Amino acid sequence: MRWQNYFHRSGESVNIFWKKYLQANEKNVLFVLGLGFDPRVCFGFEAFLKAEGKGTRDIMIINLEEGHTSPSKKYSELIMNNKKTIENLSPKDSETINKKVPMWSNDKRRIGSRNAANIFKKTLPEYDDIIIDISAMPKGIYFPLIGKVLYLIDSKKAKGDLLRTPNLHIVVSENAQLDARINDEGIDEDASYMHGFTGYLESETSDNLPKVWIPILGEKQQPQLERIHNLISPNEICPILPMPSSDPRRGDNLTIEYQDLLFDRLNIELRNIIYASEQNPFQVYRQIHQTIQHYQKALKTLGGCQTVVSTMSSKLLSIGALLAVYELKNKGDVGIAHVETQGYKIEGNINIKEEYSKSKLNTLFIAGDCYDQ
Amino acid sequence: MREPRNPFRLLASERITYSSTFLRLFAPGALDILKDEQAFSGVKIFRSSSGGGKTSIFRMFSPSSLLTLHELRATEDHKDLYHRLSGLDVFSEDGPKVLGVYLSCTRNYASLDDLHFNRGYSDRLLFSLLNSRIIIATLREALIMKKLKYPDDLSKLQIHHPKEIDIPTTIPTECNGIKLHNWASNIEKRISNLIDSFAEHEGNSFGSQDALYSLFLLRPECISINGEPISNQILIMLDDIHKLTQIQREKVLDQLINLRLPTGIWLSERLESLPLEQLVISGATQIRDYDEIKIEEFWRPNGSSKRFENTLTNIADRRVTLNPDFATISFSDSLYNSLDGIEWNNIFLKACKIVSNRIRKKVDHTKLYQKWISNCENLKGTPRERATQWRVLEILIDRDLKKGQQRLLDIPIPVLEFEEKNMSQVKIASELFLSLEFHIPYYFGFSALAKLSSSNIEQFLELASGLFEEAMAAKLLHKSFVLYSTRQENILKKSAKRRWDNIPKHISNGSDVKSLLNFISQFCQLETYQRNAPYAPGVTGIAISMNDREKLINSNTKQNPDYERLKIALSSCISNNLLEASIDKRQGKKGGQKWMILYLNRILCLNFGLPLQYGGFRHRTLNELCNYLDPNYKISKKYENLIIYD
Repeated sequence: MRWQNYFHRSGESVNIFWKKYLQANEKNVLFVLGLGFDPRVCFGFEAFLKAEGKGTRDIMIINLEEGHTSPSKKYSELIMNNKKTIENLSPKDSETINKKVPMWSNDKRRIGSRNAANIFKKTLPEYDDIIIDISAMPKGIYFPLIGKVLYLIDSKKAKGDLLRTPNLHIVVSENAQLDARINDEGIDEDASYMHGFTGYLESETSDNLPKVWIPILGEKQQPQLERIHNLISPNEICPILPMPSSDPRRGDNLTIEYQDLLFDRLNIELRNIIYASEQNPFQVYRQIHQTIQHYQKALKTLGGCQTVVSTMSSKLLSIGALLAVYELKNKGDVGIAHVETQGYKIEGNINIKEEYSKSKLNTLFIAGDCYDQ
Repeated sequence: MREPRNPFRLLASERITYSSTFLRLFAPGALDILKDEQAFSGVKIFRSSSGGGKTSIFRMFSPSSLLTLHELRATEDHKDLYHRLSGLDVFSEDGPKVLGVYLSCTRNYASLDDLHFNRGYSDRLLFSLLNSRIIIATLREALIMKKLKYPDDLSKLQIHHPKEIDIPTTIPTECNGIKLHNWASNIEKRISNLIDSFAEHEGNSFGSQDALYSLFLLRPECISINGEPISNQILIMLDDIHKLTQIQREKVLDQLINLRLPTGIWLSERLESLPLEQLVISGATQIRDYDEIKIEEFWRPNGSSKRFENTLTNIADRRVTLNPDFATISFSDSLYNSLDGIEWNNIFLKACKIVSNRIRKKVDHTKLYQKWISNCENLKGTPRERATQWRVLEILIDRDLKKGQQRLLDIPIPVLEFEEKNMSQVKIASELFLSLEFHIPYYFGFSALAKLSSSNIEQFLELASGLFEEAMAAKLLHKSFVLYSTRQENILKKSAKRRWDNIPKHISNGSDVKSLLNFISQFCQLETYQRNAPYAPGVTGIAISMNDREKLINSNTKQNPDYERLKIALSSCISNNLLEASIDKRQGKKGGQKWMILYLNRILCLNFGLPLQYGGFRHRTLNELCNYLDPNYKISKKYENLIIYD
């Protein structure tokens, strides 16, 4: 397993890590974040800048062009406020790169994922570290973005390129209560496979192979689960429940919420349920990795199998899925299925200070120095 | 496999894993949609909204379904289905004669246009990918048809060059199935890598094909096993072609039509894929080289729901048998269909009293209606029938009073005149008004359930699943599983409300859609619930003039953003079957103006207390409809004679 050993910090230890890491040597850093209405847009950036240290601190702001009909348009004031905060926080000598990512083609098809993967084209810019803050990015953007960066890093190393490759970090601010108040609005009628994580899942050649689906469950995702199930038509389903969890009844509540879907309609076997820690994406990564290997081995005599992972839970856990699928997709039919949404709706008002105090920062060191040693 | 607890929850045909289960649940009546003698010739496009049954029909012609049906042809459950398919010349004594090749277009074809290659190269990649997949699917289905293993037995298939037809020499012929399969599989893999890889690709990096050559190989004589052609007929079924880009779709259609293949070609697409101008295209102006089969229109010819209702009865009874506890029960029988039980007598007797007193008070100044009133007083029948007649009388008197017709003498109007006006539509309006005033159920019984499904099988299954859940619970508690009218209506209303509440979440442009439907429905309520029921049984739709339709189709964002927004919302409503469109319809006498009518999905009628019959609609201008997109809008028209009850 590539991430058998891993680096993950959360809460106050994130600040301790960044301070130590950035002050140890001069480092030129590119901080990538998505601009949106979510109050957590600036949380990670602010914490990162507080760590100080020598070197350039450039920022890349990803602007999603969702179209004039996006439900998120009504939060343009929140978006402007976040933009101003970023501008105020950015050091004077830093470069700000604005990247627009069109989400729709002229004929109204989704192209956001492919455009996100093309933010970095053939090479990565020359920084010592690239930090991608996914707190305010949708899955359809940060999955292909991170996948592409990992690909460019790995390609460079595979070619024996002597020039340094940047270290890659992922930052995410977790706030389960806020997540529960931000609801999908206008979800797509059909699920689809994620760009960069489709592999041969759509091939006719392997259409006859058994299909295994590993959904990481989260709240209020029933229509999404149904649509993904329609897409895959799996033979075996292995749902992942968050356990342990800060709410010890969360796993039970999810089982009750999806009882009709999981047990009456999809006929899943109880013994197929997998448990993974809510706070540790690398445990999710291991569970998914092992499950995929297990089924590929068990079904080898039938010609193998296709495995599809879906992340319906927090962004933190989704990183585990991303890493597992990225690592295994070239070895077999493995990919990610999801349902895109047109926009989001927030229940109630947002108090930024209050949300900051409830948010917990996480940082994951994904590629670079600590793995090369 | 565990038997499903609630068999109505097995929704999509794709999810029904076993052919035997699929066949058990398939209603033979659905095959009437195919005109017998031309079922497998030419190009046919099946169109419906989601859940209309397109994929089920296609799946019926897959080798695994046909083989299983042939084996089960003598069983009672399958005789009718086998007989209908035999009528289409699908079977011989030895088994299926038609090789059905199914291919879904939901895969990564559209992504080819996102690679920003030049148009020519993108088209060649599209045809190459389609060719490779058609070939792979054909070889696989051919092996299944002969009960051989895929891919292990590919070597048993022989591929022959089609006679008198040139196809590129790069396509292997005069070889066995392994060689052709590997060739196709390799192409598919390379193009899939091109689409999904993070690597940057140059255009023209490998040779590709510029036409659907694979279709020339789909001739019975081109694929053989042990020297015999694989089948008498090959049918290619491309599902969900709306998932191709517009340009791709046009190019594929163009090829399929112009190649004039002897192979039958079926395509399916959802209504949502079509721009508004195609969703509501005027038949008079269209010339087609293919057969268009509109599934909702098939189910509801000339507005009658009888055909659909009969098929639903069949579907429901088949599903119920999957649950062993209900194997001998007819689903329609479990839905109690009467309000003449003794539990309702008091309510209807009270209704008779209240309505008759109201009438007498209204007309105590005149003798005009005395005979009508006496006629009602002397009526025999159940309390429900008498209450209905009293309410009909009240509506007819209100109409007469509203006309303000001057009569020369204040003498009673003959009863015959009452009976002439006493049409079935007025009776339905009367039942609706009584249900509102006296809190009597209106939406119950299998016939109402069929109407509420709005010609959509998936919608029927969703509504029926809630009712069946209740029946199962009753059986568990050793109670009667028959559902009474009030309980049926409560369950159906919950389903309708859930669907309504989920519109912003589940439908694109959901907020505009919900606002538009909300005001259309409110408008229909106001027009329906007038005392004199002028549009009995009620208004359940709106109409746009054909001129306005043209304006809407030709609108664009820059010139008229409001019309553009309305167009998007209407497209979303129609494609999600929330509004049902009929065009070139006349209201009233011949020679009258033509309209595009948009009827509410019947489940929305349930939400807003509207009748389920089609027919009543009212004209709305585009500007009025644009106002409906604003959730804060207030309908300004004043209604003076509305029925309002506490």
